[in-house]
Amino acid sequence: MPTCTIDGRQIEVPPGTTVMQAALQLGIHIPHFCWHPDLPVDGNCRMCMVDVEKAPKLMIACNTQVSDGMVVRTDTPQAAEAHRTTLEFLLVNHPIDCPVCDQAGECYLQDQYMDHGLHDARVEIEEKVQKRKVVDLGPIMLDAERCVLCSRCLRFEREVTGTNSFEFVNRGNRTQIATFENRPVSHNYSGNLADVCPVGALLSHDFRFKMRVWFLEPADSVCPGCSTGCNISIDHRDGEIYRFRPRRNPDVNKSWICDEGRALYRRIGAADRLRGARLGRGGDAREVTLGAALDAVAERIRAARGGVGLLATPQATNEDLFAFRTLAEALGARLDFRVGDPDSRVRERADHVLLRADRNPNTQGCTDLQMGRAGIAEIAAACRSGEVRALLLQGPELLESGLLEGVAVPFVAVMATHASPALGSADAVLPAALWAEYEGTFTNFERRVQRLKAAVPAPEGVSPRWQLAEELLRRLAEPLGAASPRDLFALLAHAVPDYSGLSYRAIGPGGRVLGAVEAAAAGGRA
Amino acid sequence: MTVRIVTVDRSRARGLGVRPLLTGLAITFQNMLRSLIGQHATIEFPEKKRNISGRYRGVHLLTVREDGTPKCVACYMCATVCPAECIYIEAGERPEERIEKYPTRSEIDLLRCVYCGFCVDACPEEAIFMSRENDLVGTSREELIIDRDRLVARGRLVDVGPGYRPEEHDVRRPVRIAALERLEREHGIVPGMPARSG
Repeated sequence: MPTCTIDGRQIEVPPGTTVMQAALQLGIHIPHFCWHPDLPVDGNCRMCMVDVEKAPKLMIACNTQVSDGMVVRTDTPQAAEAHRTTLEFLLVNHPIDCPVCDQAGECYLQDQYMDHGLHDARVEIEEKVQKRKVVDLGPIMLDAERCVLCSRCLRFEREVTGTNSFEFVNRGNRTQIATFENRPVSHNYSGNLADVCPVGALLSHDFRFKMRVWFLEPADSVCPGCSTGCNISIDHRDGEIYRFRPRRNPDVNKSWICDEGRALYRRIGAADRLRGARLGRGGDAREVTLGAALDAVAERIRAARGGVGLLATPQATNEDLFAFRTLAEALGARLDFRVGDPDSRVRERADHVLLRADRNPNTQGCTDLQMGRAGIAEIAAACRSGEVRALLLQGPELLESGLLEGVAVPFVAVMATHASPALGSADAVLPAALWAEYEGTFTNFERRVQRLKAAVPAPEGVSPRWQLAEELLRRLAEPLGAASPRDLFALLAHAVPDYSGLSYRAIGPGGRVLGAVEAAAAGGRA
Repeated sequence: MTVRIVTVDRSRARGLGVRPLLTGLAITFQNMLRSLIGQHATIEFPEKKRNISGRYRGVHLLTVREDGTPKCVACYMCATVCPAECIYIEAGERPEERIEKYPTRSEIDLLRCVYCGFCVDACPEEAIFMSRENDLVGTSREELIIDRDRLVARGRLVDVGPGYRPEEHDVRRPVRIAALERLEREHGIVPGMPARSG
């Protein structure tokens, strides 16, 4: 394997590695615009110039392969001069409207100009070529003046989605990017265009003017939109979530997420979130404290012992599921989760990029924890025959599915996050926290266990599902004694053979794959 | 860091304090006699006001464009630099594509404000100045949270006159250079961006 020296530090890399990649492995940042780790190399921006010993001229780091004995310096006066002149050239027609630009704070142009810029501009603002601004392309806003013509958006559309919406038009200093007849970007991955754009030329319409990015704090999490489990950053400030951004994980989602997943941030602060417990249905419905509701639910379940059905939800974290499973085992209750057969679609693709047909984040976790036991049809039949006298649902799926239409179960309790008409047929509603409000893990389609971190606090009076199950266990049997999802995961890793030896620390930022997928698929259905 | 310790010797009795009492009375009588010939030591506030510096840092004002709308583009630079975190801004969209953005809300909590003037230094648009108004009174806390329209209306007030404002300010220069470097040089403060973890 070739060994090279970058800024005096040696590194051995596989053949074919570029100087840019080798430098990144060493933690050396080479300024760039057009290079992106998940897009093909283009080498058009000329920003990543480095000094290679014995080479007659500066070379671009992104497209120069490392050869044995290569000596590279990124900090010579020649390289700095190249960076400065490239930036000056890019800024000739740049509007410098950072105060109104949403990219400010995460802009490559801004950041690199601070390091390498020529701070006294030689071009008057009146002499600049004016291009199209505030062009509404549906989910994306285009500002052609801010564009550095790096072609990242073109390559994203060509290589990732295959939609080719963007093209360069005109020539010379009038070159700009455009869609045909200004048609809006219509595919499900448009949000990534704003992410790949290194400057403020393509910006998210949804995030427009909402918040300056330097106020936002990221929390590492996983998208709950489907079984792919794309890694995301939840950007929040003062308990409010402003946007999701893809978090790079080359093994799962690379640098992308779909627009459907990106839009899920609205669910968290939504107006229809449940904020209190409810007992009784129809005219008898009354708001009660969570403790009183749990007492009532526990009493009804105790009364119905032997005839209790528990339905888990693939929306819950592994920790929620484990606490729920423990509750089911303590009660000797019928347990299942497969409303609508999500486990049969967990690996089925919904498109050629990321989205999968199963829109639950943790169906595989349910399968791994053997939550599918009694069978949905059997539970429904037992409800009909009166064998099941109390149902405890971890999510509203069963009520929404219509499987219980015309069946009068004496007592139905449901843990739910959002108000919905289907909840009207429940006798008790326990308000549950959403996945962004507490720690946990999801297991994705390929059995990769991934961590979610809490981004914002849950609303007052709302508890995570694991805590609701733990409270019921405390009232009905022996509690697990877990004070946090971390404790629960330790218990889970002890109890479930596939997860043995795992801990939050061992999972790490990129997740951990359990065993072979095929083995799980074969043994998944009970 | 070295700590300077001052030791005060209080072991010796200081007398009855007659001498300092007399010194004080002498000053009082001096001023009384001066006032007889028209040289007053006090002014009749609030009817009369002292002539204060043109760079005085009093209550803020928002400058306006020719059409009377605020010059502010809601860039949040003032809110970012504010050490008291007393500036609250919400941004909205303007129809003009060369302006794009304006504040739909812009509030300053004058009770939290420490009148440091950093907001004026940070502003890339010369949109926020300070006035020389310093006699701030209100009957409730809410009254002293001053909103956008009141901040703009103050711009037309002529009786107090403008206070602290950027003397020479080139809007084309990056904000970070103009304001932040100066802060760092003069006060050793690097304000603004919180460190991003991860």
